Amino acid sequence: MSDPSRLVIVARLEEIRHACDFVVEAAEQAGLDERAVYHCQMAVDEALTNIIEHGYAFEGESSEIEITCQADASRFLITLTDDSPAFNPLEHTAPDPVAPLDTREPGGWGIYFIRRLMDDVTYQRVGSYNRLVLTKKLPEARPAAAPAAGTGDVFPVRTLDKKTAVISPSGRLDSNTSPTLERALITQLDHGMVWIFVDMTNVEYIASSGLKILVSSWRRARDNQGDVVLSGLQPRLIEIFEMVGFDLLFQMFPDLDSALAARPQKT
Amino acid sequence: MVMEINASEMKRVQLFEVIGRVDSSNAAELGGALDKTVDEGKTNLVLDLGGVEYMSSAGLREMVRVLKRVKRTGGDLRIANPSDRVKEVLELAGLDTIFEIYPTQVEAVGSF
Repeated sequence: MSDPSRLVIVARLEEIRHACDFVVEAAEQAGLDERAVYHCQMAVDEALTNIIEHGYAFEGESSEIEITCQADASRFLITLTDDSPAFNPLEHTAPDPVAPLDTREPGGWGIYFIRRLMDDVTYQRVGSYNRLVLTKKLPEARPAAAPAAGTGDVFPVRTLDKKTAVISPSGRLDSNTSPTLERALITQLDHGMVWIFVDMTNVEYIASSGLKILVSSWRRARDNQGDVVLSGLQPRLIEIFEMVGFDLLFQMFPDLDSALAARPQKT
Repeated sequence: MVMEINASEMKRVQLFEVIGRVDSSNAAELGGALDKTVDEGKTNLVLDLGGVEYMSSAGLREMVRVLKRVKRTGGDLRIANPSDRVKEVLELAGLDTIFEIYPTQVEAVGSF
């Protein structure tokens, strides 16, 4: 473990950017890439904002927060120490990122981002201090598959007849994993499959990248007298489709069996 | 300079070019600039984030708040030209399904 570098800031929002600059420099020195450095910067910003807005809401301006950065062969650690009242941000639930706009409170994403951006987050009350440790793994320590997340994976595909296939994606369909779905859809369309049933039962989340791929495949299937039919969407996904109006494009069924049953019979 | 906002009035759209860093210390300033325009009854807004090197959730919060406001009166807040990092953050927050996001300012302005 390297000697820690250390910075103390006054607990004021305007001071946060000095802490960010300090963390960016330490993270770059530790060998993190540009994206990971950005993640560290944002996690520290969100954590400090929480501490200052909640922990020191009624305090004077003399309170201080200590930030230390330290790296070893596999990890980059950021430790935030403050003497505000005991507050464990990890006990507070994160907002639902796919909740529809009208039900969504503006904000409350701080801790959600910290968890998503860092590899590990721990909180400890040490005497009269709060200690939050944010950990980012260094590139060498990542499992080999991690940088290419999704690209090596394949979603199960089942061929029912010469024109009909079932694809069953799973997990999150975001910009990392959508290309996997895109490859599966294009492969089937290239093989003359025009009736494609996408069973979404195990899909937790869909970002615009996933929606775009479904729509472009839908268009291509329709041009060839077929269709892309969806089934098993979780309520949150249905809301997303409704929000962008795609519920008007796609046939959607509660499960794969009812979708397949609605398939036009061969004449 | 930490953050700069350049507002310009187009035919049907109010364009805001944001440059610099948007965080908890200045997000309210961004929200305030947008609010002022909405107060004048102009609710077709484009936010060009091409010059934003960094944005924290405080900035997202203001964008969602203003989006809700303009949507109520039939307007929209559309985003142009976010960096890869800002785009990733929008995706992480699930906001890429709520905001219309365009790769260029021209496309965002033309979308109204």
